[in-house]
Amino acid sequence: MNETSQRLGEVIEASTTGFTAQCYELYDLPPLGSLVRTGDSTNGLFAVVCHAVTEGLEPGRKPIARGKDEPDEESIFQSNPQLSKLLRSEFSTLVVGHRKGGRILQYLPPQPARIHSFVHACTAEESKDFGRTFGFLNILLNAKIETPADELIAATLRIMGASYADPRPFLIGAGKELASLLGEDYGKLKAILERIKP
Amino acid sequence: MLDLSRVAGQIGEMIGQLKAGGQERQEHLVRALTLLVDRAIDFETLKRKASQSKTTFLVAGLVEPLGSHVPPGAIPSDFSIIATDGSQIDVDRHQSARCYLINIGRVRLDYGSDSGAELQSLPQLCADSKDLVISSGTKEQVVEGALLNIKRSVDECRHLADMAAELPKDRPALAVIDGSLILWGLSSKEYPDFVVEQLLDKGFIKCLDDMLKLAQERPLALSSFISFPRSTDVVNVLRLAICPHETADCDKFCGEINIGKRACDAVSGIQDRDLFDSLLGVGERSALFTSQSKIVRESYGRHRVNFFYIKLEDEIARVEIPEWVARDADKLSLTHALLLDQCQRGQGYPAALSEAHEEAVVTGADRRNFLQLVEISMADEHMPQTTSAKARSKNARWL
Repeated sequence: MNETSQRLGEVIEASTTGFTAQCYELYDLPPLGSLVRTGDSTNGLFAVVCHAVTEGLEPGRKPIARGKDEPDEESIFQSNPQLSKLLRSEFSTLVVGHRKGGRILQYLPPQPARIHSFVHACTAEESKDFGRTFGFLNILLNAKIETPADELIAATLRIMGASYADPRPFLIGAGKELASLLGEDYGKLKAILERIKP
Repeated sequence: MLDLSRVAGQIGEMIGQLKAGGQERQEHLVRALTLLVDRAIDFETLKRKASQSKTTFLVAGLVEPLGSHVPPGAIPSDFSIIATDGSQIDVDRHQSARCYLINIGRVRLDYGSDSGAELQSLPQLCADSKDLVISSGTKEQVVEGALLNIKRSVDECRHLADMAAELPKDRPALAVIDGSLILWGLSSKEYPDFVVEQLLDKGFIKCLDDMLKLAQERPLALSSFISFPRSTDVVNVLRLAICPHETADCDKFCGEINIGKRACDAVSGIQDRDLFDSLLGVGERSALFTSQSKIVRESYGRHRVNFFYIKLEDEIARVEIPEWVARDADKLSLTHALLLDQCQRGQGYPAALSEAHEEAVVTGADRRNFLQLVEISMADEHMPQTTSAKARSKNARWL
């Protein structure tokens, strides 16, 4: 495993099907649909970023508009240096597989992530390793989340495809898998395919 | 349970009384304002009268002409604000573990080219006998309730001094305390001398000494900020001004006269903030005054408390500063300008103090969680837990 994979944050909430992580830096969010992991090269979870939010650290404190007299957005933070400490960025993920004894398994793990597990962005190599099979697409299709499934799947495939010098074989393979999973739901298949055109 | 329907009628009566007093108050305010800018009142004569009189009320010491109003100076391009605030969980005599907790919120805000912020919440659990009582020889005083409040104020000041020491030497900075620089709690009750010595001389004053030492070699100022002050020190100066006696002696001359009938009652019922709300423009500060309270005169030494009022967008605030800030034109101007700037950034209240409060605050849920954690930890160690029947009754509310 590439040791230089970027550490994004850590798990602050976890369940069987997903986890939420807090970023170390404000707005340092991984893109929607990107593949992230916990653990190491032997054991850990793989998950897809399905939602993100930036809000006040404390539930009772709502941000207010502050920039009326400021020349640009950056100046708001310079004039109110405490803001960057009082806001936090979080992202939620769907667990799409796990690694057990070094083997990648594209089904839900027996246990959820542990709180405070470090969350890393997957490197191109890790992403390619994970994308050798398409079992994760079924998990994404059936997830009950706020983000529309077609948007999330398309974003995931675009990002995973970018790991390859030529993404076509990967995207065609994914398209075939989706066609078989979606059966007669031609509308959804079309929506996804239109969003992943290279 | 509070029966609001029964209170509603009483609130109506209270509003009626407030309305009835409004007209008289307005007349008193007009009288007071006229006096405040009356050039016929000789400043030096009034100052002398104030220093020689014996009054039953606290009269501000005069430093600058009464009607002064000073616009704010320029703020430096790079500067820091440090502030602390605190809260506590008091000793609960219904619980088995005897302890209290002080939570100090510390904030440092850096403005300018290298802006940044440090926000910290530092809880300190005190269960040692040296923390639970203040002792001297065979005497001891239990730290709880009002005394714990005072101890917390001392801790706030100590943390502020620690933060001040960490500031870059050449960076203009203002240290802000929430509330008063005067430890009123120690003066309002008859505490033994060793308690006053421990908390004031070796506590609060020692921290002020440390800050003075730092301020002698760097552009550091110290102030406290009181929002919506209820003080009447300056109104009481006006009472003296209209007192018909050459030297006032309230008990001697007016001891037999009912309150409301004395000559000086022509300015009664109003507060300093009412005066300065009319006199000052937004951003301006009032004249400087000195506090003549007994505790300040007897114990504050070179940190004698001076104060001024400042007009903000929505209110008048009272700012208290030690003598060494008041007598240094640069530090005084820095205090005025930076506090005003802080209030503008903080929607009317100093931003650093708001954040320090947020860091320090202990909510009702925090209190319950803390007590639960203590109980669980004791149970883990198989220690007997004895709570009072009263505490149990509050937790289990049966029908």
